[in-house]
Amino acid sequence: MLNKALWFQNYKQSRLLIWALLVLFILQMPIQAILSIETWNERAEQAGEAEEYVYEVQSWDVQQIFSQGNFTIFIALAIIFFAVLLVGLERNTRRNDFTFSLPFSRKQLYLAKWLLGISVITLFFIMNFVPAYFIISASEFDYGLHLVSSIEIFWAPLLGYIFFFTFALFIGTVTGEMISQTVLTLITGFLPMILLTLTQEFMRVHNFYLFSLGSQPRPIVYLTPIYYTIGQMGELIGLSLAIIFTALFLYFGIKLYNRNKVEHNGEFFIFKQINPVFFTFLTVIASLFGGSLVASLAPWSADALRVIAYWIGFTTFLLFALLAVRRLITMNVTFRGKPM
Amino acid sequence: MNVQHVSKLIHHRLILKDIDFTIESGSIIGIVGRNGAGKTTLLRTMAGILNPTSGDVLVKNKSIFQHPQLKEQIIFVPDSTEAMKNYSTKEMIFLYKTIYPGFDEAYMRELMERFQLEQINKIGNYSKGMKALFQLIAAFATGASYILLDEPTDGLDVIVKRQVLQLLVEEVAEKDLSVLISSHRLDELEFMADEIIMIRDGEVDSHYKLGDLSSRYRKAQLVPSSPLPDHILSSLYVLDKTGRVMTILFEADSSIEKELEQSNPVLFETLPLSLEDYFVAKLGGDRLAE
Repeated sequence: MLNKALWFQNYKQSRLLIWALLVLFILQMPIQAILSIETWNERAEQAGEAEEYVYEVQSWDVQQIFSQGNFTIFIALAIIFFAVLLVGLERNTRRNDFTFSLPFSRKQLYLAKWLLGISVITLFFIMNFVPAYFIISASEFDYGLHLVSSIEIFWAPLLGYIFFFTFALFIGTVTGEMISQTVLTLITGFLPMILLTLTQEFMRVHNFYLFSLGSQPRPIVYLTPIYYTIGQMGELIGLSLAIIFTALFLYFGIKLYNRNKVEHNGEFFIFKQINPVFFTFLTVIASLFGGSLVASLAPWSADALRVIAYWIGFTTFLLFALLAVRRLITMNVTFRGKPM
Repeated sequence: MNVQHVSKLIHHRLILKDIDFTIESGSIIGIVGRNGAGKTTLLRTMAGILNPTSGDVLVKNKSIFQHPQLKEQIIFVPDSTEAMKNYSTKEMIFLYKTIYPGFDEAYMRELMERFQLEQINKIGNYSKGMKALFQLIAAFATGASYILLDEPTDGLDVIVKRQVLQLLVEEVAEKDLSVLISSHRLDELEFMADEIIMIRDGEVDSHYKLGDLSSRYRKAQLVPSSPLPDHILSSLYVLDKTGRVMTILFEADSSIEKELEQSNPVLFETLPLSLEDYFVAKLGGDRLAE
């Protein structure tokens, strides 16, 4: 796994995303720090013109630079595509044959991809964290750094990104190509929250409540991978879970990559046993979503109409989902490449 | 190298069925069979790309699936250069040098010079023939003992094809390596192979030394004077039939030749036997005759 050739091979096939990640981290941290200080200065000047008003940087202002904000979403997307280039793209093309014919175990091949990913993320994160931190600490708003903890601005986002990359790579061990890896990472990345929202919406429309957990209950947030990338884990429990989940997904990723059925490359799933489970699951989710969508069009005061609208939407989406998901799992997207 | 009872199930279909053979060092073995017979699946399994459903592939009596480092001794050259098209020649040499301890960089450069392959920034920009040559040269330079080639001359012009075949024969003659070639070009295999493994519906139909072919089978042109009896007809492979003129193949050590001569045919003349005749007889002769 520390073989230079594997590092080079993996770098070569994912370098576009590696450099994109660097650009995103530069924009997120040092550039945003410089621009934020300008904004804070402007606000402080405006506040100075008003009587009895002093502008103070808040903790969330600092968190926007290091662990929250729009850039974290772009970084999460870039991490998904990074994992897709390392695993999914190989499956779509004949490159997987070349990789698997090399004198390395599949565990070594997988660990080389994982190590490259986490090294790139860690290196770029630290490379940009340090200057951003010093830019703020050298400014008159340095007190802002005392409003946040190292867990909130350093450990949680870094370990969150590492976990999310491990998760996206793991999804690549069960999917047969890059589109299914991307789609499935996105769906499962939000899955616990999607399930909670759809279930609660179902209960709300039908006016019966088995439970009510609110819109973003903490236990569900902890189980939703995407939240680890958008600065929602700035506490010890979130940090610990990021480490535990990274270890678990790495372990199972190695196990599944080892049992890879290369002959199913290009198909939605590598392991055919998943097909019926996925088929049922996605159909139900799409139907529940359809129900919620159409029900939202009915006026809230008309209870009966809302229930009818829900089931019209549910049935319509169910029919479409039955057709679409069936096609999805029987597809084969392999770019064979020209002979020679 | 031992291929031991390898079977492979894909999409509930048995693509390889109990394939079992041994490759001796210093030989060129041709793998022939019709499209979809399982030739490429067999090569991919032997290269450790596909895991067999049952059976094993052994090098020095050790499984390549249990000991993947043994794959240093095996190079698979597919019929596509997709995997290396984005690399420069320099990067590819670096990659091979780092992976294969026996890689001979000086020899690689020498062969590149001999075949006028220039250093290039993107192998994908080479012509089809140059890509094939580069892939082959790189495979030989690794110092691997077993080279698995899938359709190595497919789509190449005559000049490049000759260069490729010449290189192949030279390498096997000079070094103690074995080359396994899956090809539809039976004339080429006839020119260089020592052994032929014929795959039919995923099974080894026959495995023999090419030199034995002419002593085991006879090819003849036959115009019978009267309809042939069933027991003779069932022992013949009919390669071609035009009117009453038949081109047939039969086993040399059977009594068929004698019986045919004694049946006073209008014409009975033996012809030189080629690998293509054997292929047609075994894998499609009857259908052709119909």
